[in-house]
Amino acid sequence: MSSVELSGIGKSFGPVEVMSGLNLQVADGSFCALLGPSGCGKSTMLRMIAGLESVSAGTIKIGSRDVTLAEPAKRGVAMVFQNYALYPHLTVAQNICFSLSLAGASKAVQKEKGDAVARLLQLEPLMGRRPAELSGGQRQRVAIGRALVRDPEVFLFDEPLSNLDALLRVQMRLELAKLHNELKTTMIYVTHDQVEAMTLADKIVVLDKGRISQMGSPLDLYNRPANRFVAGFIGSPAMNFLPAVLGSDGSVMLQGTRLMMSPLAIAEQQGELGVRPEHVHLCDPGSGLIDAVVLVVEQLGNTSYIYMDTPLGQVICEADQGVMVQPGAKVGLTLDTTHAHRFDNAGLALRA
Amino acid sequence: MSDATVSGGGRRKIDLGGLVLSALSVLCALLWFFPVYWAIATSLRKDDATVTDFALIPQNPSLDNYFYVFANTKMPLWYINSTITSLSITVIAVFVAACTGYAISQLKFPGRRVLWFIILASFMIPVSALIVNHFIIIAKIKMLNTYPGIILPMLLTPVTVIVYKQFFDGLPREFRDAAVMDGATEFQLLFRVFLPMNWGVTTALAIITFIGAWNAFLWPFLAAQDETMMTVTVGITAVQDAFGVRYGRWLAEAVLAGLPVAVAYLLFQRRVTQAITLSAGIKG
Repeated sequence: MSSVELSGIGKSFGPVEVMSGLNLQVADGSFCALLGPSGCGKSTMLRMIAGLESVSAGTIKIGSRDVTLAEPAKRGVAMVFQNYALYPHLTVAQNICFSLSLAGASKAVQKEKGDAVARLLQLEPLMGRRPAELSGGQRQRVAIGRALVRDPEVFLFDEPLSNLDALLRVQMRLELAKLHNELKTTMIYVTHDQVEAMTLADKIVVLDKGRISQMGSPLDLYNRPANRFVAGFIGSPAMNFLPAVLGSDGSVMLQGTRLMMSPLAIAEQQGELGVRPEHVHLCDPGSGLIDAVVLVVEQLGNTSYIYMDTPLGQVICEADQGVMVQPGAKVGLTLDTTHAHRFDNAGLALRA
Repeated sequence: MSDATVSGGGRRKIDLGGLVLSALSVLCALLWFFPVYWAIATSLRKDDATVTDFALIPQNPSLDNYFYVFANTKMPLWYINSTITSLSITVIAVFVAACTGYAISQLKFPGRRVLWFIILASFMIPVSALIVNHFIIIAKIKMLNTYPGIILPMLLTPVTVIVYKQFFDGLPREFRDAAVMDGATEFQLLFRVFLPMNWGVTTALAIITFIGAWNAFLWPFLAAQDETMMTVTVGITAVQDAFGVRYGRWLAEAVLAGLPVAVAYLLFQRRVTQAITLSAGIKG
């Protein structure tokens, strides 16, 4: 087990600088998710930690060792890939023990370690099969086994569940969480799925265009997003953003309606009010803050999402399953301002 | 019920185009095969019967010509020479091509693009255009009439390198990453991961290299002037003069010369076709 520390990391591909001055500390034994949309640099960051990509500036430490220039295999890290990357010509057992075999471990040692990993991941009945004969979930478990057998200080996961179907993804998510609880090894997990990040990680790093947008615990990011990007990325369905004039006295002018929130040390300016779907409530037309027309109703069983058109743009509301509205119906909306967020015109969150 | 689905004695749609094409293919195959058959048939006729017996099936078939060839020429030795040179060329050329293709596809080193262009360009130059240079070089280093002298110039197989490069280019990057994370060196990556992942490519390339090397005539003809160093293809032309006009014996030699390739083709038919398909995109 080891901590991971990135200091002043920069990365350029030719003349194009994709990352600069990036700092990150991942505590020993923690589960850290690197979250962001495609092209935000999260996989590049993981590959730099793994040593598969060189850094253009800065240092990487694993534990107390500076591994910036170390070979990937000498860093004490193991990686699980999105498409599993299992060697198709080797059996499950040979795949799992491949690194040991390369290192010249005896057959007995390979078998002992391979069997231990197989027991942990319930792969025992599959050890003689080849990857082509396995299901997606089984392949992913073998890929994890291959990482596990190296007894790494840090596990790196590169979107490991993206190729699985929805049901299996939930199942594997649970297995990964259990594995982390059991091993207590530092894990760094790249994903674009905020649900995976929220459910698995104890620390989430949100990346946007090669920069860290915000890092913190899942609830911290959900409840106190630092900017509009994080607010919009974390949470499903996404937060509603309504154009508003924000006053220093805490006033929020929405389409001629004035709301009062806590005072801010700012000059009056055009900004946005961010409200999550669960903090938007339906009421009779004309009796709320905003009037809306229902566009689509998604029934999920335990809850329903109502998509509405308002003069301020589209708004999504999470309503009880008992709420019955039809597309085309006119409704009124109220907002729970105690949970609302204010963003200035640069997209930064404003807090009292 | 439509015409297409009529069954049990009803009218059946006949694919006329397909039928014509099939008939043409059969005709072409027969046209191509007949000389081969006639060579085999003639080689089984007694010496005096070759110009009198024109029956489709030889009247008194015998293996006399084959026995004669084996007893009175250096055919067994030529067989050994051909086997040694062809196998050496196959093993060395495929090994070198795999390493070169891997390096150009997977490694970053200065001059990689230049090297790639040289290989591409070299494959545009026909071997016969270089044969005088090869002869002078091999003669100067005193390698004429030696195995290395026959083998060395025939190791130039740019097409094999190109096929390997394309194969390695097509492999997902994750395999390389995973093996590097597992601690594999470049050699281990090539020989324990990339090549075993698809032996089909190597087998296919090895078979066509072997067939090409076995059938090669021009270079072995120049490089092996001593009868004891000749390969089968060169040897059979050398003794024709000594025999006079003896069709049965000539054709027995020709059949023997072509036999290993025919056997190799029949055994690895699928792989040979694969190899031709693999290099078809390149040969154009």
